[in-house]
Amino acid sequence: MAPRSLWNGSIAFGLVTVPVKVYTATESRSVHFREVHAKDGSRIEHRRICPKEDKAVASDEIVRGYQVSARKWVELTDEEIAAAAGTQTRLIDVDHFVPADEIDPVYYDKAYYLGAQDKGRDAYALLLAALEKAGRAGVGRWVFHNRERTVIVRPLDDVLALHTMRFADEVVEPSDFELERVRRKPSEQEIKMAGRLVDGLHTDFDPADHEDSYREAVLELVKAKAAGKNIELPEPEEAESADDLLAQLEASLSA
Amino acid sequence: MPRSLWTGSLSFGLVNVPVAMYSGVADRDLHFRQLHAKDHTPVETHRFCAEEDAEVPYDEIANGYETDDDEMVILTDAELAAAAPHRSRTIDIEAFVDIDDVDPIYFDHPYVLMPSGEAEGIQRAYRMLVEVMGRTERAALGRVVMRTKEYLTLIRARDERLVLTTLLWHDEVRPTDPIPAPTKKDKPAKKEVDAAVELIESFSCDWDPSRYEDSFQKELRKIVKRKAKGQTIEIPDDEGEQPSPVPDLMAALERSLEEAKSR
Repeated sequence: MAPRSLWNGSIAFGLVTVPVKVYTATESRSVHFREVHAKDGSRIEHRRICPKEDKAVASDEIVRGYQVSARKWVELTDEEIAAAAGTQTRLIDVDHFVPADEIDPVYYDKAYYLGAQDKGRDAYALLLAALEKAGRAGVGRWVFHNRERTVIVRPLDDVLALHTMRFADEVVEPSDFELERVRRKPSEQEIKMAGRLVDGLHTDFDPADHEDSYREAVLELVKAKAAGKNIELPEPEEAESADDLLAQLEASLSA
Repeated sequence: MPRSLWTGSLSFGLVNVPVAMYSGVADRDLHFRQLHAKDHTPVETHRFCAEEDAEVPYDEIANGYETDDDEMVILTDAELAAAAPHRSRTIDIEAFVDIDDVDPIYFDHPYVLMPSGEAEGIQRAYRMLVEVMGRTERAALGRVVMRTKEYLTLIRARDERLVLTTLLWHDEVRPTDPIPAPTKKDKPAKKEVDAAVELIESFSCDWDPSRYEDSFQKELRKIVKRKAKGQTIEIPDDEGEQPSPVPDLMAALERSLEEAKSR
């Protein structure tokens, strides 16, 4: 079955326009649970309560507000919030290109695929071929769901992939976390031994080598519980702490 | 100091490093509250049992799984933890891979892993991992269970710390074959590709995330300010037309290149 596109528009690249359709590229496969009342499994509803009146509030009596001072709220409609995105366009304006392998993984947010439209397939094929040959990703802006995002467009297999990117101020710098001082830094010998351990575990990354075994385990639990079996709760395990680093590395290497 | 989202142990061979996981993403969005329209009292969300029509305290809520024959199987959080007790507390490093080998389509959420505990041994083991991964430019692969989901994770060194990125499982990335792609007969001529590559090169630069700012949030702050002063907010025009594809690709490329050069 052909998937449904989320958005139709064009990529503008110089004076060339590439008509595209946007498709979602990812989907969660986790076992899905819903909130239930523990004693009998009844459905749980989320109700909106006015604490002053202590009663439920109908959705047409609810507005959105931003708190500007202790007692003052500014009320905004959905349209007014959407106005922050400016004029809606049907254009992803790609105006510069970067080496995709320079982008730190933390910036990648959500992934989409770009499909070709019936008209302008030649322009799609051209952009795909040129990005591949140049080894670059296009950077542009995309207004989707009333919100402007920075996106990159890059070749992936025989299609173009589009990623929404996080803004720099949304990314937490690791150096914001303080490291304790150590009296003795890890020795060259320890680092070398750890390096040998790393080499020994080095492998090519093939996503298909890794299966989510937890899903199966959860479904097994569900089956056991449905059959009326008692679920044994696990005992907490005590992890050994790293006291003698060198001895542990040696033991790991000979294991 | 933000709150840690997970604590446990990172295990590398026989070396165990107690670690705490923090989100690598900071929420900078303006947040709105739902208000009761008539007097602007912030409304609260409460959980109610649909059967009893009564409020249910949080500790009486469990996870329900609906089977194919419409039976509701109830599992508590503690019971769910029994699915993978070890991986709920330990990230076992299973392998090391080259970071460039992992396609960005798999990247999910970033976190920062910090040593948990001040003991010299913990701090030294953590630094050793940072050092060895930094030198080899390799990333560790391991699994972790958080809440009710297992993640494949990629752990690497950055700024003398360890950062972790959860990865999507291979079957969570959709196949590309149903996506409409150009066919052989759309294949561009060599001179078109060369011209397009030249155009790309002329607009090339390094990746510099500080160039981009969230103009939506900036505008939204202005809108809130204007609204607070009682001004009206103009609603912009509706969606524009999608531009039609250019009839002559080569001509469009040539003109784009001329424009790029005259900049």
